Amino acid sequence: MFNQGGLSLEQAPPISVVLRFFVTASIFGILLGIFLIVDGLGLSSSLTGNKSVLITHILALGVMASFMLGSLFQMLPVIAGVVIAMPTQKATVVHLLFVVGLFIQLYAFADSSIPLLYFLASAYLGIGLLYALYLMLKELIQIKDHSSSSKGMIFSLVSFLLTIILGIYLLLSLGGYLDGLLFLRVKEIHYSFALFGWISLLIISVSFQVIEMFYVTPKYPIWMSTYLTMGIFTLLFFKSMAIFMAFEFQFITVILTVLFMLYAGTTIHRLYRRKRPTSDATVWFWRLGMGLFITSMLITLLDVFTEINLEVKMFSYLAFIGFVLSIIFAMTYKIVPFLTWFHLSNQGYIEAPMMHDIVHPKTVKKHFYIHGTMLISFGFSLFFDLIFFDLLSAVLLLLSFGWLLYNLIFAIKKYHYTQKYTERFEW
Amino acid sequence: MDKIFLDAREMEHPEPLQSSLFHLKSMSDEAYLYMLNIRKPVPLLEIAKEKGFFSLVVQDSNEIWHILISKNSEIRLEELLDV
Repeated sequence: MFNQGGLSLEQAPPISVVLRFFVTASIFGILLGIFLIVDGLGLSSSLTGNKSVLITHILALGVMASFMLGSLFQMLPVIAGVVIAMPTQKATVVHLLFVVGLFIQLYAFADSSIPLLYFLASAYLGIGLLYALYLMLKELIQIKDHSSSSKGMIFSLVSFLLTIILGIYLLLSLGGYLDGLLFLRVKEIHYSFALFGWISLLIISVSFQVIEMFYVTPKYPIWMSTYLTMGIFTLLFFKSMAIFMAFEFQFITVILTVLFMLYAGTTIHRLYRRKRPTSDATVWFWRLGMGLFITSMLITLLDVFTEINLEVKMFSYLAFIGFVLSIIFAMTYKIVPFLTWFHLSNQGYIEAPMMHDIVHPKTVKKHFYIHGTMLISFGFSLFFDLIFFDLLSAVLLLLSFGWLLYNLIFAIKKYHYTQKYTERFEW
Repeated sequence: MDKIFLDAREMEHPEPLQSSLFHLKSMSDEAYLYMLNIRKPVPLLEIAKEKGFFSLVVQDSNEIWHILISKNSEIRLEELLDV
C-alpha cells in the first residue's frame, strides 16, 4: 500500500498473514485488561516488582510487536520491492514461536521459581523474532535507492535486533544460566533501544511515507526525513556505550528528547496543513499520539534538569504508551479496510465492499473516544489512589482492544462473505 | 474517443486507486482514462498491466504525473497527452 515499489498482486502477501498478527495483538490487549481487572490493580499500583515487567512485556511484545510484525510483513515486500517467498508459511513459523515464547516468558515473570522457563522463553522468542528480523532485514538492505522510510526501518529493526539480543541475555541471567554481572546496565540499554530505537524509529519512518500519502499534507523538511532516524540511532548507540561504561549520558537524553519533540511538533503541523481536511478519526489518533509523545519527552527532558516526583514520571510512561497505541490504532484502521478491499477487488469481486463498509468512520471515532477516556482514567489512577479509577482504566483497556478485535473479525467475515456469496468478474 | 478524466492530486490514499480501478473495470474500447496525480501510481500501473491495459506515464515540469490508460491498443495515448 506504499508508493515506492508499489503493491502488485504477486508482492502482496495474503491478507491472513497480516491479520493473524493484528488479531493476536488485540487478544493480548484484552488479556492485559482482564489481568488488570482480576488483579484488582490500576497502573499506579502495578508498576512495581514483577508486575511491571509482566505488563510491560504484554504491551511491548504481545500488543506492539504483534502489530509491528503484521504491518511489516505487509509493508516490507512492498517497500523493498522484493517478494518474501512463501509468506504464509514463514509468518506461521514466526507467529507460533513468538506466541508460545511470549506465554512462556510471561509465565516465567509471574512465577520466577522455574529457571527452565527463562531458557525456553529466550529460545522460542529469540528464534521466532530473530528469524522474522532476518527475513525483513535481508530484503531491506538489498534496496539500492533508499527512501527515508526504508532507511529508517533498517535503523528501527537493527534497534529491535539489539533489544532482542539484550533481552535474551537478561532472560538467561534471570534463569541463572549467565552470571548477570551486567544485568542493570544491559536492562537500561535494552529498554532504551526498545522504546527510542525500535518503536519510535519505526513510527517515525512509517510516518515519513504515510502522513503525506494518507492525508495529502506537505512533505516533511528534507533534513528531517534524511537525517533524523540516522541521528537518533547514532545517539542511542553513544548513549548505550556511555551506560555500558558508566559514563554521564544525560546530555544525549536532552538531544534525543528535543529531536523527538521537534519531529512530533512537525507531524502535528503537517496534519493541520492537510489539503482536504475532513473529519477523520485516524487523524485524531495521530494528533493525540504526537501530543502524548511531546508530553512524554517533555517530562523526560525536565527530569534531566530538576527533581520530578514518581507520579509525574509514571505519567510520562503512560503518555508514551498512549502515543504508541494511538499510532497503532490509526494505522490499523487504515491498513485493514484497504487490504480487505484491495484483495477482494483484485480477485475480481464486483461487489467488493468499499473501505467505509468494512470499518465505518463512526466506528473508528467510537474507538477514539474509548481510547481517550481510557488514557484520562489511567492518568487519574496515577494521581488519585482510588480503586475506582484503577478498575475503570482496566475495563476501558479491555473495551478498547475488544472493540478493535470486533472490527477485525467483522472485516474478516466481510472478506469471506464476499468471496463466498458475490459474483466474480474477469476483466 | 471518450476521455475519463480523474484529478487525483488532492485525493487521500487509497481514493485514487479505488476510483481509477472503478473506471477501468467498466471501460469500453472507445474510452481512455486520463489521471493527474502528485505521485506515480505504481500499484495502479501494475494492476493495469496485469489486466492487459495499455498505459502512458509522464511527469510534467510541475512534478505532476499524467497517467493515461486504455483497453484498446489502437488508441495512441501519446497523442492524447496534454502536457
